[in-house]
Amino acid sequence: MSRFRLLVALSLAGAALAASGLTPGGGEVGPTFAVRHARVVPVAGAPFDKGTILIRDGLIEAVGPSDKVPIPEDAEIVEAEGWTAYPGLISAHTNLFLEDPRPAQVQTPADLAAAAAQPSPPDQPGFRVFAELKPRQTTVDGFLKVGVTTVLVAPARGIFQGQSVLLNLNGQDATAMVVKNPVALHVNFTTARGGYPSSLMGTIAYIRQKFLDAEYTAAAQAVYAKNLRGMKRPAYDPFAEALLPFLKEKKPVVFQCNNFEEVKRALLIIDEFKLNGFLTQANEAWRAAEALKKRPLPLLVTLDTRPPRTSQYVNQGEDLRKKAEAEIYPANAANLAKSGLKFALTSLGLADGPAFLKGVQGAIKAGLSREDALRALTVQPAEYLGVAASLGTLEAGKIANLVLTKGELFDEKTQVVQVFVDGVPTKF
Amino acid sequence: MKKRVILFASALGILAGTAQAGAGGSLLIKNGTILTVSKGAIAPGDVLIIDGLIRGVGPNLAAPPGVRVVDAAGKFVLPGIIDSHTHIALDGTNEGSEAITPEADVGRVVNADDVAILTALSGGVTMIHTMHGSANPIGGPNVVLKMKWGRPSEELVVREAWKTLKFALGENVKQSSRTIQVGGPPPRYPQTRMGTNAIIRREFLRAKDYMAEWDRYEKLRASKTPPPALLPPRRDLRLEVLADVLRGKMVARCHAYVAPETLEFLLLSKELGFTVAVFEHAWEAYKIADELAAAKVGISVFADSWAYKMEAAEGIATNAGYCAKQGVLVSINSDSGERIRRLFNDAAKTMKYGGLTEDEALALVTINPALQLGVDKIVGSLEVGKHGDVAVFSHHPMSAYARCDLTVIEGEVYFDRDRVVREREEAALKAAPAKKGGDR
Repeated sequence: MSRFRLLVALSLAGAALAASGLTPGGGEVGPTFAVRHARVVPVAGAPFDKGTILIRDGLIEAVGPSDKVPIPEDAEIVEAEGWTAYPGLISAHTNLFLEDPRPAQVQTPADLAAAAAQPSPPDQPGFRVFAELKPRQTTVDGFLKVGVTTVLVAPARGIFQGQSVLLNLNGQDATAMVVKNPVALHVNFTTARGGYPSSLMGTIAYIRQKFLDAEYTAAAQAVYAKNLRGMKRPAYDPFAEALLPFLKEKKPVVFQCNNFEEVKRALLIIDEFKLNGFLTQANEAWRAAEALKKRPLPLLVTLDTRPPRTSQYVNQGEDLRKKAEAEIYPANAANLAKSGLKFALTSLGLADGPAFLKGVQGAIKAGLSREDALRALTVQPAEYLGVAASLGTLEAGKIANLVLTKGELFDEKTQVVQVFVDGVPTKF
Repeated sequence: MKKRVILFASALGILAGTAQAGAGGSLLIKNGTILTVSKGAIAPGDVLIIDGLIRGVGPNLAAPPGVRVVDAAGKFVLPGIIDSHTHIALDGTNEGSEAITPEADVGRVVNADDVAILTALSGGVTMIHTMHGSANPIGGPNVVLKMKWGRPSEELVVREAWKTLKFALGENVKQSSRTIQVGGPPPRYPQTRMGTNAIIRREFLRAKDYMAEWDRYEKLRASKTPPPALLPPRRDLRLEVLADVLRGKMVARCHAYVAPETLEFLLLSKELGFTVAVFEHAWEAYKIADELAAAKVGISVFADSWAYKMEAAEGIATNAGYCAKQGVLVSINSDSGERIRRLFNDAAKTMKYGGLTEDEALALVTINPALQLGVDKIVGSLEVGKHGDVAVFSHHPMSAYARCDLTVIEGEVYFDRDRVVREREEAALKAAPAKKGGDR
């Protein structure tokens, strides 16, 4: 047992973890654990009691009833009698670990001038957010404590914000955390500071023009490739070039939709350019359920229940706004499920783990079944993000991200007692 | 005559049974004073709406089985009011960053949750022309909406209406009221009225080049031996809109105050070959009423409240009435989410200032804006075949005592004052005991 405690201590410090040679995916072999006699909720199949999960070198080696999973000699045994094991939860959209270099508010003429002098808008579809990650252990721990082991981190600035990265919360060494990079291009219906476009309608035109330019670049390159001799080479457009994988290879483009109308605005653009479109935030997605049923696409639904500024409940007094935040918006996910729509739940807009947990509890209270909530935080996001082979369920061969609880996950009184990320345990 | 109307209505009762479900509502408004706008008043009279369309206007109409009857005895029934110039029900008004932004289409940012729609309904307004702002010489395309509160935005859009593009001249465009700060952003071109005229011409000339480039491409593509390296021109959303204006697929709606500048724009439109439908605000229209009437260009104006800025200083309250009498197509607009509920009051002011009759004044907020928006075939007056867009008023709408009691769009009731008052009283009663408990 003393070796086990040592390992736990090591896993708490990122640097120590790296020094111990437990870096996931590295050449060194990670530890082996047997989580024994737990109630297992694999999500991939029916839950069962008295199960054993064998973890070796960051992966799940075996899952099954305890009498059918022999425990090898080298395994540390984790006695999990009375505990329940779930796959680690995935938040499919966050803006964690980013530092905003902009001034908080444009106030003085100097600020205005500085904003105007910036490239307008500061958009870079080729930008990979990985370059700016500054993981913090307190944030990591806050999410682990509520069972979140994996997060999609997307950039949060501009209209064409750049490309996201999928991280396992295994410490604060960004390189070691990466599961997949890049994952998707993120587009937000926002405006530029002090420049064009300064309005939502301008932004929509700007997005369309950028995709049109990418189409033009693709067409020009194709013609040029056949006429290298005798044709003047097409002008180089780095912005358009960065969009080509999303236009031509159909890599995912995630549109942030802050209200019902933005869902429809995003769908128009997705269809116009035949994009592999995702919708995120989608806090009024239930209002678009009919349209979404006709035209299903991945939905990343936030658990943030604050009504958008455009909501009619915001414009008719504080009482109605509070009522909407407490009663109407938490039912978004439940309403989507009732309409038969698939979706992933995310912590977008929520600062920390406890806020995320409160959001899930609110959605369940508003009518979302626990099973649907669990799927929306495990298999569904794994499928959407293209990592279903390695994440999202407790199955042999998958990454050993699991959550052990006393009580049913998401219950008020439930305690997360231990979390494994990449096969390495953290205890609370 | 009476007999024929009854026969007509009952024949339609049979037809109504075969009409498509969900095409609109059915309603019979009975025994009111019917202000048809196009064909005088009928008192007492009825308006029959079947499946969203007016199927009868006259005395003693019978309701087909199952059709709701509204008693309008002692009340006035008029076509739904139309606001030719406002900015409600939009997420954003101006793409003000640059001088030329015809790609910034307000039709893409309609917000059907805007409570100003309810405000409009409470004043009998059933249709609006909601517009790009006046921050730039060439703003963006506007959109015509019906005030169908509670319906999704795409159902509000009136596709029969002309496509319109916002232009603006004068102080807003040359940024007269902007303080240029040391170290702040540099002033935007143009800063003068002549610059405004020049930049609009320049952009249209660019659009002509763009059209020529596409024509050349299409010709080559259709030829027997297209060149091997033939590439379509780059699509430019900005120039595509201006090309549509030049092709006559869109008309100009131009914010203009000062008379000479207004005429200059008219000359420019003739030079470049595009149509100006309406000048907005046009406080000095009375100075050029003959020219406007001859050019068949309308104006959409306020009834009073001029002199709110330098270029409105020479506005006069008789502007609307005088221009109407000179043969200019005049509408009274709100430009506001609040004034929109009392457009009928504003229209009535032209009777005092300008000497218009009740009917002429009412036309300024019904058939005239319908003509300005190219929707006079479907709305603007109470006539068989037009949309069942109707307002029921407590008094004559040109009376100071007038109050809108019922607003109907395509046969569906979207505002019912009795119901609103009743619901409000019930809500107040519900809230009252709780408040009492809290006080203790």
